[in-house]
Amino acid sequence: MIVKRLARWFDDRLGASGFARTALNKVFPDHWSFMLGEIAMYSFVILIITGVYLTFFFTPGTREVVYNGSYEPLQGVTMSEAYESVVRISFDVRAGLVMRQIHHWAALLFIAAIIAHLMRIFFTGAFRRPREINWMIGVSMFLLALGNGFTGYSLPDDQLSGTGLRIAYSVALSIPVVGTWITFLIWGGEFPGTEAITRFFVIHILIIPALLAILLTAHLVILVRQKHTQFAGPGRTDRNVVGAHLWPTFMAKTVGLFFLTFGVLAALGGLAQINPIWLWGPFEPAAVSSGSQPDWYLGWLEGSLRLLPHWEIRAFGFEIPNPFFSGVLLPSVTFGVIYAWPFLEARFTKDRAEHHVLDRPRDRPVRTAIGVAVLTFYVVLFAAGANDVLASRFDLSVNQVTWVLRGMVLVLPVVAALLAYRLCRELAALKPEPTMVTLERTASGGFVEAEVEVEAEASS
Amino acid sequence: MRRAGLTLAALLLLVLTSAAGLAATRGNAKADDAMRGGKDDEPESELVAEGEDLFLTSCAACHGAGGVGTDQGPTLIGVGAAAADFQLSTGRMPLTNPDELPQSKRPAFPDDEIDALVAYVASLGDGPAIPDPTDPPGDLVEGGQLYLLNCQACHSAAGNGGALSSGRNAPTLHGASEVQIAEAMRTGPGPMPVFGPDTLSDQQVNDIVRYVRYLDDPADPGGFSLGRVGPVTEGLVALLFGLVVLAFLCRWIEPKEKESS
Amino acid sequence: MSDPARDALAAIERRAVRHVGIAFGVSALASIGLAVTYWTGGQVQVEGSLLAISLGALGVGFVLVARRLLPQGPYTEERDVLPSTDTEVEAFETDLERGEGWLTRRGFIVRMLGAAAAALGVAALFPIRSLGPNPGRTLFHTKWRRGSLVVDEQGNAVTVDTLDVGGVLTVFPEGHLEVEDSQTLLIRVSDDSVVTRSGREDWAPEGYVAYSKVCTHAGCPVGLYQQDVKELLCPCHQSTFDVVDGARPIFGPATRSLPQLPLTVDDDGQLRAQDDYDEPVGPGFWNRGR
Repeated sequence: MIVKRLARWFDDRLGASGFARTALNKVFPDHWSFMLGEIAMYSFVILIITGVYLTFFFTPGTREVVYNGSYEPLQGVTMSEAYESVVRISFDVRAGLVMRQIHHWAALLFIAAIIAHLMRIFFTGAFRRPREINWMIGVSMFLLALGNGFTGYSLPDDQLSGTGLRIAYSVALSIPVVGTWITFLIWGGEFPGTEAITRFFVIHILIIPALLAILLTAHLVILVRQKHTQFAGPGRTDRNVVGAHLWPTFMAKTVGLFFLTFGVLAALGGLAQINPIWLWGPFEPAAVSSGSQPDWYLGWLEGSLRLLPHWEIRAFGFEIPNPFFSGVLLPSVTFGVIYAWPFLEARFTKDRAEHHVLDRPRDRPVRTAIGVAVLTFYVVLFAAGANDVLASRFDLSVNQVTWVLRGMVLVLPVVAALLAYRLCRELAALKPEPTMVTLERTASGGFVEAEVEVEAEASS
Repeated sequence: MRRAGLTLAALLLLVLTSAAGLAATRGNAKADDAMRGGKDDEPESELVAEGEDLFLTSCAACHGAGGVGTDQGPTLIGVGAAAADFQLSTGRMPLTNPDELPQSKRPAFPDDEIDALVAYVASLGDGPAIPDPTDPPGDLVEGGQLYLLNCQACHSAAGNGGALSSGRNAPTLHGASEVQIAEAMRTGPGPMPVFGPDTLSDQQVNDIVRYVRYLDDPADPGGFSLGRVGPVTEGLVALLFGLVVLAFLCRWIEPKEKESS
Repeated sequence: MSDPARDALAAIERRAVRHVGIAFGVSALASIGLAVTYWTGGQVQVEGSLLAISLGALGVGFVLVARRLLPQGPYTEERDVLPSTDTEVEAFETDLERGEGWLTRRGFIVRMLGAAAAALGVAALFPIRSLGPNPGRTLFHTKWRRGSLVVDEQGNAVTVDTLDVGGVLTVFPEGHLEVEDSQTLLIRVSDDSVVTRSGREDWAPEGYVAYSKVCTHAGCPVGLYQQDVKELLCPCHQSTFDVVDGARPIFGPATRSLPQLPLTVDDDGQLRAQDDYDEPVGPGFWNRGR
């Protein structure tokens, strides 16, 4: 009764019943892999919830203070107020540590889900016309998420993240012509300076989240406008969507997924310790720990920095230093190709038609093989980023591990691509063709079977 | 008669070997660290002599008689009691294959024989004595700051150790005793630098030892420590226990496509 | 539908409702437990577990409702033709033409507007200049000067007795502790003077050799000194430097040796710098060679 009265009250003022009906009746196709994007979105929501809480306790500054909290090994130690506030959140704010850990686990999951979602879109060809715009919006959100992760874990001003900041500074420094200017403007001078933490704070809590919110909204609006893609199947064509209504069924499932995501993150946040900055110590410019890595999603960049041999370009007193190639050029090419992929594939396959039915990866062996090759390349880079941890853990020579990975990064992608191509071909050959039995009435009144091959309208 | 004689001989043999065995195992119970550094009841010269005997059978092949060194092993003259005690009590020495890297393992000698060898090596020349890092007691906070300045670069912030060049590793510090930690600092075994008394005072060494022992069981308020390795293990956990678990939950929410009803 | 079938369906539905009720009930209990935990002082693992149960059970309840109680369909919705009809597009272009056509006829106005926008855009960039100083020659010098006293991280002067052979210490110029570009690694390689390169005959008195600790690859402190092979290893990307050969890089991505600080011993036995480093320390940059 109340609901009806409320609905009437709003409609009198907004006249939105028609629009609301369309929305409630929207059909969403059902496949579990369509939920990966939702996991990313809900991780973002959880990041905002926990993040806002943390901003009430975090102090973004490099002013020196003396620690006076309950973590004994740091008693009386001089540290930046940023670091002190995070140690305080971890030890002296009730529920502070669980919020902080949920926040950090959510960041790791956010990007993991984005990548899984991106892979699903790629391998099913969902980026094809008319969804190129949403592809580019998605890749932009991927980049922004990486940036927010990096600025976020650098905020506590601890030894581990400070080491990462020094490397970032040096990579930016290596940019030809403008590198020194870029670093001096961002950091306010030489490393470490006193401005970086405060500026990264603004970027982390305001600029990037605002951009993400805007892009996410656009992403969803476009999705609703174009309707979701679907796999081929009975009753599914290129001109329809088959699934459940938004209200109530899809809404129930997606709300359920939100709570399950939050539940998993809460379990991790309470049971699995992450980023124990009290152990790493406050950032000291002349100190470093062995086994230093960035958060997982930047491991490929770290691996690139470790694997590239000592090559650089020098001429006439100018130079393009080594970290430029591994730290700037590689990621630029990476993301350039990712951005351009829908257009590259359209040009190569000469297929500029609209597609609303998804490919099965096995039906597109070339695309799948290329995707597998690229994935393998980055997985090897991830391993390279942890080469010293691998060497130390498995009692190997880090030098040998590095050389082996240098070889693998060139060879494995090719091997993986060939294997993927073969696998696709073989799986595609196995596919039984679905048949439907149609009964035809004969003139004499009986029924005859007429076997009809039904191939769901897959893309060309 | 002959049988009785044989039986007697066998019995004697049994008693002798048992006695020898018992004597050998008597020192196996790990003596308290603080008391290491010399048996109270054996005079110094006898200990050195016993040590020399052990040295000639177990060490001289590589280190030369009198510890002068050969091309297989360095001279031990002047290395001091601390160095010998560290190498022997951590099982790094004796090194059965000089081409391999010394590794920490179960000591080859019982404690009393180690004491004897240490006394002998110490007698070869002046070198650092076995330190007592619990007196005066180390300060945890100072130790932590000194550790981060001087030690974490090789041994990692959590004391897990780390990779060095060409297959060597800075070992994990977990499980090392106070004396061993102090000995290593003072003597610089293998690739480890030497932190002499003019570099780190005795108090500073004791502070670091206190902190390193703290790292054996540090505060882990966040839950499972995952080895305190850092982002590598955290990333793996996020992928396996985060993403994969949620992917399975998605499969539960939306099972494999059903045929249309 | 026959009665047995209807009864069976009703039983299934009742069971589903019961399960959903249990899920939401468990969630409620966990939430209460969470509130109690917080009220009584809190404990990280308990907080996380109870929150996980509370949220997870809610999620399970919603999913059970969706899967077992709500209409499954499948329902079908037709897709609109995405591109608008030709009539609509032409009408749009006509409406656009109202403004756009006017613009194309007023080239002069457009050009002046372009000039204004461009100039404003460039002017608006200038506040960015306030974010930081001109790099200038800053990267070419550290705080080391001729005669700078070598001090450790507590500020104590370093003398010829401070290090044993095989010892290592992080040092700074006096008065500039913890200045990142001036961090220097002091290594005692031997008892006697060491010549690491020609022209550096008196740079390493009494076996004390000093190198910039800022890695020439990506700036991490090169903190791992391996005294048996006299090599420095940077933990970040495994660049390795030969201490006896002027810290020449022998492995890893670093392309340049670590700059060496020329040392001297003063009358009190204290170590001092003869001068600043003879080249910029740390990672490379565009105009480093000029």
